[in-house]
Amino acid sequence: MGRSLPTSWLIAFRSLRRNKLQTMLTMLGMTIGVATVLTMISLGSGAQKAIQDQVKAAGMNMIVVTAGNYQARREQPPDDAIEMGALNAPAAEGRPHLQLAAFHPEDDPFAIHDHPTARQRLGDVEAGLGAAATLTIADANEIRKVPGVQNVCEGVHMNVHVMNGDTRWFTRVHGDDSSLPSIRRSWTFQHGEFFSAREQRKNDQVIVLGTIAAAKLFGTTNPVGKTVTVWKQSFKVVGVVTSTSWLVAPAEGDDQFDAVYIPVTTLQNLLNLSKLNDITITTQSTGDVTRVEGIVTNVLRSRHHLGLDTPDDFSVTNLAAKALASGGLRPDVAVAVTGNVNGLEKVTLDQLGKTLDKSSRTMSVLLASIATVSLIVGGIGIMNIMLLSVTERTREIGIRRAVGARAHEVLLQFILESVTLSVAGGLFGILIGVVTAIAISKSAQWSTSVPAQAILLSFGVSAAIGIFFGYYPAREASRVAPLTSLRFE
Amino acid sequence: MSVISVRDLSKTYKVGEHSIHALRSISLEVDPGEFLAVIGPSGSGKSTLMHILGCLDQPTSGQYFLGGKDVSHLSDDEISLVRNKQIGFVFQGFNLLTRTSALENVELPLLYGGTNISASERKDRAMAALTAVGLESRADHHSNQLSGGQQQRVAIARALLNSPSILLADEPTGNLDSKTSVEVMEIFQSLQRERGITIVLITHEMEVAQYGSRIITFKDGNIISDTANDSRRHASGELEDLANEGETERVA
Repeated sequence: MGRSLPTSWLIAFRSLRRNKLQTMLTMLGMTIGVATVLTMISLGSGAQKAIQDQVKAAGMNMIVVTAGNYQARREQPPDDAIEMGALNAPAAEGRPHLQLAAFHPEDDPFAIHDHPTARQRLGDVEAGLGAAATLTIADANEIRKVPGVQNVCEGVHMNVHVMNGDTRWFTRVHGDDSSLPSIRRSWTFQHGEFFSAREQRKNDQVIVLGTIAAAKLFGTTNPVGKTVTVWKQSFKVVGVVTSTSWLVAPAEGDDQFDAVYIPVTTLQNLLNLSKLNDITITTQSTGDVTRVEGIVTNVLRSRHHLGLDTPDDFSVTNLAAKALASGGLRPDVAVAVTGNVNGLEKVTLDQLGKTLDKSSRTMSVLLASIATVSLIVGGIGIMNIMLLSVTERTREIGIRRAVGARAHEVLLQFILESVTLSVAGGLFGILIGVVTAIAISKSAQWSTSVPAQAILLSFGVSAAIGIFFGYYPAREASRVAPLTSLRFE
Repeated sequence: MSVISVRDLSKTYKVGEHSIHALRSISLEVDPGEFLAVIGPSGSGKSTLMHILGCLDQPTSGQYFLGGKDVSHLSDDEISLVRNKQIGFVFQGFNLLTRTSALENVELPLLYGGTNISASERKDRAMAALTAVGLESRADHHSNQLSGGQQQRVAIARALLNSPSILLADEPTGNLDSKTSVEVMEIFQSLQRERGITIVLITHEMEVAQYGSRIITFKDGNIISDTANDSRRHASGELEDLANEGETERVA
C-alpha cells in the first residue's frame, strides 16, 4: 500500500478536469436526481406537516381532562337525604360510611338545604365540569410521563378585576402552564412573549394579556414592562397575545383574548389553592388520541385510588369531534376529508386522524418512489459514462500502467472519479433542491419543509451510487493489461 | 555486471490453433551505459523483446534479470513497481495524456510507486526534467499544443524522472521529421554520454540504428547479428551541419 488517499484524489481530480464538459454533464444527471429527491421530500413532508398542522390546529390531537364527573350522577343516588338514609342500611352494618360528611357543619344528615352545600360546590365528585377539586399539579406531572403525549397544561380559571391605575376591567384570569402557546396553535404575540418555565417555577408575578384586555386597560400603547394589579398584587406584563386565525377573531367577552394569563403556580400560591379546574393534553400524533385517552384515564384512576366500582372523579374528552363540527378545519381540508371518507358521521375522529396520517404517508411513498427512479437514472448515467470512458481511455490506462500504476491504483482512480462525480453532483443537487423547495413555498404558497435527515440521506445516497455504479467500470479498467492498452491506437 | 541479462528467453503467442514464436530462445547481455539499437523488419520479434524488457509482458520461458534481479516471474504489483522505478519508456506515439499540461505529464510517474512526495517537490523534479530536455518554457502547454518533437521530449523527460536503470525507446522517431529525429537522437546520445544511461532503441530503419553504440539485428524471433557499431552517427555534429546548411541557404 503506502499510497496516501490525497494522491489518488489528485489523480482522479486531474482526470476529471481533463474532460470538463463530460464531467459537468455527468454531474448534471446526478444533480437533477438529488434535486428532484430533495424537492419531492420537501413538498411531501411539507404537505404532511400542513395536514398535521391543520388537524392539530383544529384540536384533533387535544384531550381535556376536567375535574369532576357530572355523568357519575346517573350512577349514584343524587339525593343527599337518600344517601344519609343509607346509614341505617343493613349492608353498612350500622357504621357511618360517609365519615367526611359527619364533620362538616352543612352536612347534617337531617338538615334540608335549599342551596348546594359546600361539599357539592367544591369537593364532591359529582360536581359539574371543572368545579370539583379532584385534579392536582401532581396529576398533570404524572400525565407528562405518558408516552405519546406532547404538551400538558394545567388550568385554573376564574373571574377577576384587573387594574391599571384607575382603569379597571373585569375579565377572566387563567392560571396556566408555560407550554400553553404550543397548544394554542393559532396564537401569536403582538408584544413580548408568554411567561417562561423559569418564571413559572419561581412563582413570578408576571401576566400575559389577551388583546382585548390589553386594549381595555392600556388602549393602543404597548403594555409590556408595565404593571397591573390583580388581587391587590402587582403583576408585570410580559406579553400581549392575539389570534392569527380568521376563524377565531378576538372579541369582547371571549375566553381567550378577553382574558389574562398568569403562571398556574403563582395563582395557586397567591390564593392558597391546590386544585386544578382542568388539564389540557396534546398528543404527538393525531391518530393516537384514543390510546392516550385510555392511558390518562388509567393513570388518574390509580392516582386517585378509585376502586373498580367507583366512577371516575374526572372527565376526559377529546376536542376532535367538537373541532370538526364547529368548522375548525380549513374549508378545503374539510371538503377533502368529508369527500373522501364515506359515512363520516360514523367515523370517529380518531380514525379520521389515522386516515389522514395514512394518506400523507402514501403521498410520501409515492414521491419517494418518483425520486428514487430519478436517482437511479442519475446513477446509470454515471455508470454509462464510466464504462464508455474505460473503452475510450484504454490508452490512458496503458500509459499509467507503463509508468508504474498498479491495478488497484487504476481501480481506485476510477472509483474516486465516479464518487467525485456523484458526490459533487449530489451537493449541487442538495443546493438546488433546497432553493427550489424554498422558491415553491414562497411562490405557490405551498408549505415545504426540508428535513435535515433528507439532506444527509441524499448525500449518503449519492456517495453510495458513485461507489455502486462506479465499481464495475473501475474493475474493467483495472483489468486492462498494460500491453494491450499501449497497442490500442 | 550486465544491467540487462536475458537467458533462453522465448515468447509464444497462440492465435487460434497456430502458435506464433515471436522470440525463440534469445540470450542477451547489455552493459551499463550501452546504447543498444535493435533492428529488424516488422514481425521479427524486436517489439516483443522490448515489451518483455520493459516488463509490460512476461516471457513464456527463460529468464530476465534486470540489474541482477529476476523480474520474469513477478506479481503484477511487483512488476508495476519495477516499471515505475527502473524503466523509462519512450514510444513512437509519444503516449502523453491528452488535455494535460506538459508538467503534469512529466509528474505522472511520481504519482505512483508508493512514494510520498510533496506537491512542491514533485513539481520541482518535473520542472528539472523538463529543463533537461529544453522545454521549461512549455511546462503549462497541453500536449496538443506542442509539436511532435516537443511531445517526444516531454515523453523523454517523463521517462527519466525516476532515474531508471534503462531507457526503452520503441521507434521514437517514427512519427517525426528527419530534423526533429536528429534532435531526439541528440538527446539520447547526450544522456548516454553525460549521464551514462543505458538505452535500448528499437527501430526498423538502419539510419536510426546507426546512432547506437551496438546493433542487434532480429529476424524471425532470432538474433542474427550482434555487432559493435563502428560507423556510429553523431547527432550533435549533424545538427551543427544542419544549422550551417540553413545559414548557407539563407546567404545564397
